[in-house]
Amino acid sequence: MIKEIVQGMAFTLKQMLSRPLTVQYPEEQKPVPVRHRGRHILHRYDNGLERCIGCELCAANCPVGCIYVEAAENDPANPVSPGERYAIRYEINLMRCIYCGYCAEACPTEAITLGPQYELADYRREHTVVTKAELLESWPHFAQSRRPPSPRGAGADQTGREEIDPGVSPRLAWDLVDARRQSGQGPHAGDLGIPADVPTVTEPGTTRDNA
Amino acid sequence: MTQTPAAPGPDDGRVGVTIDGREVRVPKGTLVLDAATELGIHIPIYCAHAKLDPVAVCRMCLVHIEKFPKPQPACATTVAEGMVVTTNNAEVTKLREGVLEFLLVNHPLDCPVCDRGGECDLQDFTFRYGPGTSRFPITEKVHFAKALPLSQHIELDQERCILCWRCVRYYDEITGEKEIVLQQRGVQTLVTTFNGEQLKSNFQGNLPEVCPVGALTHREYRFRARPWELQRAPSVCPECSYGCNINADSRDFEIKRFASRDNPLVDDMWLCDRGRYSFPQWNTSERVRRPQLRPRGGEQRDVTAVEAISAAARELRAVVDQHGSGAVGVLGSALNTNEELWLLGRLARDVIGTPHIDHQLEPFEKLDPAEHALGIADIEECDALVVLGAEPEAEAPVLTLRLFKAERKRGARVHRLDHGADPSRIASAVRGAKTIGVIADETNRAHAARVAAAITGGAVRRLTVTRGVNGRGAKDMGVLPGLAAGYRSAPSGKHGREILEAAASGALRALLILGPNPALETAGDVLQRALARADSVVVIDSRPGVCAGAATVLIPGHAFFEKHGTVTNLEGRVQRIRPALPPATPTPTETRVLSSLAAELGARDWDRGEPSAVNRALRAALAPYAAAGNGGRATWVAEAVA
Repeated sequence: MIKEIVQGMAFTLKQMLSRPLTVQYPEEQKPVPVRHRGRHILHRYDNGLERCIGCELCAANCPVGCIYVEAAENDPANPVSPGERYAIRYEINLMRCIYCGYCAEACPTEAITLGPQYELADYRREHTVVTKAELLESWPHFAQSRRPPSPRGAGADQTGREEIDPGVSPRLAWDLVDARRQSGQGPHAGDLGIPADVPTVTEPGTTRDNA
Repeated sequence: MTQTPAAPGPDDGRVGVTIDGREVRVPKGTLVLDAATELGIHIPIYCAHAKLDPVAVCRMCLVHIEKFPKPQPACATTVAEGMVVTTNNAEVTKLREGVLEFLLVNHPLDCPVCDRGGECDLQDFTFRYGPGTSRFPITEKVHFAKALPLSQHIELDQERCILCWRCVRYYDEITGEKEIVLQQRGVQTLVTTFNGEQLKSNFQGNLPEVCPVGALTHREYRFRARPWELQRAPSVCPECSYGCNINADSRDFEIKRFASRDNPLVDDMWLCDRGRYSFPQWNTSERVRRPQLRPRGGEQRDVTAVEAISAAARELRAVVDQHGSGAVGVLGSALNTNEELWLLGRLARDVIGTPHIDHQLEPFEKLDPAEHALGIADIEECDALVVLGAEPEAEAPVLTLRLFKAERKRGARVHRLDHGADPSRIASAVRGAKTIGVIADETNRAHAARVAAAITGGAVRRLTVTRGVNGRGAKDMGVLPGLAAGYRSAPSGKHGREILEAAASGALRALLILGPNPALETAGDVLQRALARADSVVVIDSRPGVCAGAATVLIPGHAFFEKHGTVTNLEGRVQRIRPALPPATPTPTETRVLSSLAAELGARDWDRGEPSAVNRALRAALAPYAAAGNGGRATWVAEAVA
């Protein structure tokens, strides 16, 4: 009986002196695992062309039907993606998404993956339907800002589908992108060959904060 | 498996065959492929096509037949008594895998961006019968041109072609135009147009449906939707009176394409380009959205549908009280369903009491039942065919294909003549023929009757090409002056143009217009004067136009692809239409509006006006429609019409 008490108190004492697991979220954030399935990212090739060809297989494979794609034909002189077809609209309803990753599995060009971002709450439902402009990897600034040298060696994966820099919290990375957008340095729809009628990104700090 | 030949049966023109151990008796001359289909045994095919003659070039349908030294193509081998066929042994499986492996050697496999992906025979059969892997991944595929426009409608991808010859044979056997050819030899063979010219045919839209892969695709449908997303509504093409069966395929409440729906009695699965590519007009946002009251000299205001119907009844009753029921003119349209037109006719004659009702501008004398005696499918049975003028084929282009089929299959002579051609000369031209068809449009009915009378020595049947998808139904439903439903005689009234002229001169004080009526808008100036002069213009229409713009009471209607109903084609075939789109307005359908209007005007025994109930009522009243049911022909006999 005494033995058990000593054992128990020893464990308690050990836990008291160890570093707590708790982090001061949101000021402090833990790095997410490499294969974390957070909000989706639409990737680009190194030359800036979109990987997505608008084939809608992600939407077909989606068990909850949260993906909406509309395809269009590329202008050969100014293509959006390689080949004949690209997605003119690409929307994901994040409220409905179950983050299963079947879309990434179905994708024939590895255009869509689930990324590290997990802070998806919003004050308005309509903001949880993310558009193509929000999902798309920005280019060319994106590569430099979010892509630290790969721990697996240079050139391991130019699209960043595997590696996440443990030193940069996802939130910080997205803040960098947002700051660049707001300061006007960031890419905007015109640069990317996205037709003007595609809904643009809701700027953080504008409508969302007013809601 | 033990396989015994089917026991010889009585000589009834049928032979017994055994396929995969199951026996079936089929007519002599049946292809092994069709006999297997009858048993529910699937044999994969690429070059074979139900409407085309066999060529047996793709070798996909090879089957094992006992006593044949080599495998035989099921699509080109006719059955014989006691034949024993095997489609599922190791030999056949290996043959299929081999053919598919070869077909895929140079196929680009761009299924994700191919419009055919999801409804492609090459995809489906590869999954079902394919080898799974290829032994030829090492060499670079042979490349040809991709995304090559052949015309404003058709895009060609030469890489995807599997050289089945279907498109070439379609032009040879169905249209007789010969626009597509295969060039070069061996692995370099490619499909292209003759001399690289653009396609000019009026029937190009059938090519992508004939093509088993995605080599020929619609430019209008390019990348608009994947096949599995499409909502399919079986309906009828609204472009002409031929009544071709279609599937209106929609995605996200937009019609993306019209696909053919094979009805051997009407379209034989072929559509014309005018009809097939007419779908964008039904996606228009230019619609009458709200019921409105626009009193003369007063202010326009939006109201509810109920208020609008009451206001319409008030206005019509005021005119009837002041000027008599003959002061109301009623105009229907050939784009309305039988149910709407039936109610409109009853509303005009029984409730309002006016004889002035029509659906077209021109006068219509009386129906001669003989003028619709020749059915579309009967054309193939004729030895000689007389087509008066270019109008019948311009109005109903698919008629051309049926005429060509009669020429090709039966050796019929087709005489295309001027309207004014001398009947006796025509009679001598068709002398010797046993069965003769005379085809004319509505304006040449009288001449066609003279031609038919002049021909002796053969059975003559006539076909009149009516105008508008339901032009025939409008007449059957009695939306005509002087002829009530079923061509029963009624007090004579003014025809369409006279109604407009009378309204323009002030003789008619109110107009009730059920639209949309493109024919009415060809009347020009007199239409505008009539609309401006009438005290009351009640318009039920789905599209903003001249009539809707001048209405004093405007009630939104539902467009053709937003409602249930039936339409009657030129040979009297009663066919259902179904909604492919949700209604653009939440207001009641036309049949409900007409029923409510009748109730407001004092009719007692009218029901709520659901299309199905109206259809039952009109079938109870019109025996030919009861006999026709859905998909049959309504034929009028001489006594009933007299």
